[in-house]
Amino acid sequence: MSTVVKNQLRVCLLSVKYNIMKEMVNKVTFLTNILFMMLNNAAFIIQWSILFSLREDIGGYSMREVMLLWGLTASSFGLSRILFARVFTLHELIVSGKLDAYLVQPKNVLLSVMTSVTVTSAIGDFLYGIVLLCVFSFSIGRLFLFLLFTVTGALIITAFGLLVGSMSFWFVRTEMFGVHMFNCMISFATYPDGIFRGKARFLLYYIIPVGMAVYHPVHIMVAFDAGTFLWVLGYTFCIWAVAVFVFYRGLRRYSSSNLMEARI
Amino acid sequence: MQAIKVEDLSKSFRVRQKEKGMRGSIKAILSPRTEEIKAVDGISFEVEEGEMLAFIGPNGAGKSTTIKMLTGILYPDGGSVEVMGLDPTKKRKRLAYQIGTVFGQKEQLWTHLTPYDNFRFFGAIYDIPDKETEERIGELGELFELDAFINTPVRNLSLGQRIRCEIAASLIHKPKVLFLDEPTIGLDPVVKETVRSLIRQMNRELHTTIFLTSHDVGDIEKLCKRVIIVNDGRIVLDDSIEHLKYGDMPLEDIIVEIYRSEGKVTLES
Amino acid sequence: MRKYAVIYRSVLMENLQYAANIAMGFVSYFIINFVFVNLWDYMYGASGELIAGYTKEQMIWYVMMTEMIWFGARSATIARQASMDIRGGNIAYMMNKPYYYPLYILAKYMGEWSVQMPMYMALALVMGMTMVGGLPRFRAITLPAIVLCTVMGIMINATFKLCISLLAFWIEDASPFQWLYDKLILVVGTLFPVEIFPARLQVLFKMTPIYTVCYGPAKLIVDFSTQKCVEILSAQVMYLAAGSVLMFWIYRKGVKKLYVNGG
Repeated sequence: MSTVVKNQLRVCLLSVKYNIMKEMVNKVTFLTNILFMMLNNAAFIIQWSILFSLREDIGGYSMREVMLLWGLTASSFGLSRILFARVFTLHELIVSGKLDAYLVQPKNVLLSVMTSVTVTSAIGDFLYGIVLLCVFSFSIGRLFLFLLFTVTGALIITAFGLLVGSMSFWFVRTEMFGVHMFNCMISFATYPDGIFRGKARFLLYYIIPVGMAVYHPVHIMVAFDAGTFLWVLGYTFCIWAVAVFVFYRGLRRYSSSNLMEARI
Repeated sequence: MQAIKVEDLSKSFRVRQKEKGMRGSIKAILSPRTEEIKAVDGISFEVEEGEMLAFIGPNGAGKSTTIKMLTGILYPDGGSVEVMGLDPTKKRKRLAYQIGTVFGQKEQLWTHLTPYDNFRFFGAIYDIPDKETEERIGELGELFELDAFINTPVRNLSLGQRIRCEIAASLIHKPKVLFLDEPTIGLDPVVKETVRSLIRQMNRELHTTIFLTSHDVGDIEKLCKRVIIVNDGRIVLDDSIEHLKYGDMPLEDIIVEIYRSEGKVTLES
Repeated sequence: MRKYAVIYRSVLMENLQYAANIAMGFVSYFIINFVFVNLWDYMYGASGELIAGYTKEQMIWYVMMTEMIWFGARSATIARQASMDIRGGNIAYMMNKPYYYPLYILAKYMGEWSVQMPMYMALALVMGMTMVGGLPRFRAITLPAIVLCTVMGIMINATFKLCISLLAFWIEDASPFQWLYDKLILVVGTLFPVEIFPARLQVLFKMTPIYTVCYGPAKLIVDFSTQKCVEILSAQVMYLAAGSVLMFWIYRKGVKKLYVNGG
């Protein structure tokens, strides 16, 4: 059993390594991509400086906390797209039949697929988050929590992306769905949860998992709470279980199926 | 022993219909019409271990669908498949260690990496220890004469060099059965000949079973002793190439004749 | 002109098949605006308060309009496709066709936004009326001027974005520059009106295309004045002219470079 896991892990790591090697072929492009993504994110500091010049607290957040929120969002979405970017374009693989290549390999289909693409600019996102943390609210303990929540956040986002992407097993015309969902999550995750009320809060905490990926962790970093902490870990585990289940249901459909119009 | 055993295999698809023009587009959104077609319709055959079989037919005859079912990509609607004694539907991963696939039109290699890195990656996929992978790369490099470009990114290789690498990569784990889907498509005659002789050599030396689809009569004639022709999802002919040839008629014309007749004509042997 | 009409028509047809995608864009549009409604609800304390001279209703309508332009004008054609054509070498085949490549791209792009925009307009209207209520200062008679201004804004944006895409003649990946341009337009002209910035910065912003792309049309919708309209339209004419000259110049340079170096 353990050698199976070890071999699988080896393949995944190699895959990510080769992805990054591939992106590094042109060093100038590689570096500008990362650097410009950081600048791109930094543009929003302007937005928040303006907003905080109008009011001192926004949804219960101070500038420092919004930057923490932004940092965690950038890093966890970044990490997700460094390691598992393929999840967000799963549609293309499913509809064009490119999953075939993974199905003839003796490895876990889901893991091989997920790790097959790395987005270079996501490295910029990931780094930007850490820079924000260091500039606005550094402490060793917080850095540790920040990294931990970057991982859980990335896992939650990926699982959600996987759930959304797996819809393509059932509905063919969903090209941009993954991309849109990703952007929607970012729209929410870069604003304080305190500005939302009632049903919206429910939506953010239970349907679109922004609350679990970003809001709760930010609150925990501001004031630690063991209950919420366990809640986040438990949720991460559960959403993965559901996402994996749905993916494999879909894969069974792919393998028995009507998806292949015109590809006979 | 049989490498491949197929019995009464069938598979149908639902195909969406779209009418012409703007109105058709709107109609396709509002009420999509679908039609069921039988891609593979009750075929049975067996392939001996070490055999080289040509599996041919016109476009849309059901060749790729059959290959997909043999490799575990697609589940059959009916009938049974066994490859190296394993059911591809149930034992897909275990079967993967036993088979190799080359699709002439779909690249499996990572184009930004060198063949060497690709082979290392494939080695990891098939759980081969690094040292063994190295040895294997050495052997394959020699056999396929890859040494000159083994460190050049795949995207900079010529099509002929690339296909040699594709085949080499699919052999890294010493598969018992190799599925070749139009391996010589788009190659010039000289490279075609090289690829064919490689396939022959592989079959002879490693006793690899070869399951080949191609539209190139040269591939079929020069590689295989036996041919199965499918049309409309059914086997219309399963015979040795020797029997197929008669008179001075070129093999190509005979095959065209069989495609056209859709199996209604039986050949005298 | 006929060939551009045909390009337009065929893209239009293609687009109808992507109804589902447009619906998805609607959801994104809805969510973004939903966030802003909540944000400005929170930011405005007492009713009747003004921020940078805008009432809460005007502020939210302003964002809905700029986001409408943003979403309605969004497309991969001017940004990604153009650079891919150039980098992938497709451009060599397209240059030999009897049309001018930048105009081909712009015609194709027009086929896209002229389908998307009215849909987002309808959505924006419904959302605005239900979530914020009517705009007291809006008069239907100003509509033609606003539409003209919006179309000009989209065209200016397209020209500048295409300029950036054409940089692909020299650099491998132009998208980082697209992001920066987008972010400038977004942070300065889209998320809130220019008036919210310190006075000195406003002068600077008025000299950038930001002023003409999103701010101009949205400002006229929430707070129309003839003087403002003339001011924005003349700025737009200047920017469109400058942008077009720049675009043709970059394209000619790029093509020349292609002939010299063979791509």
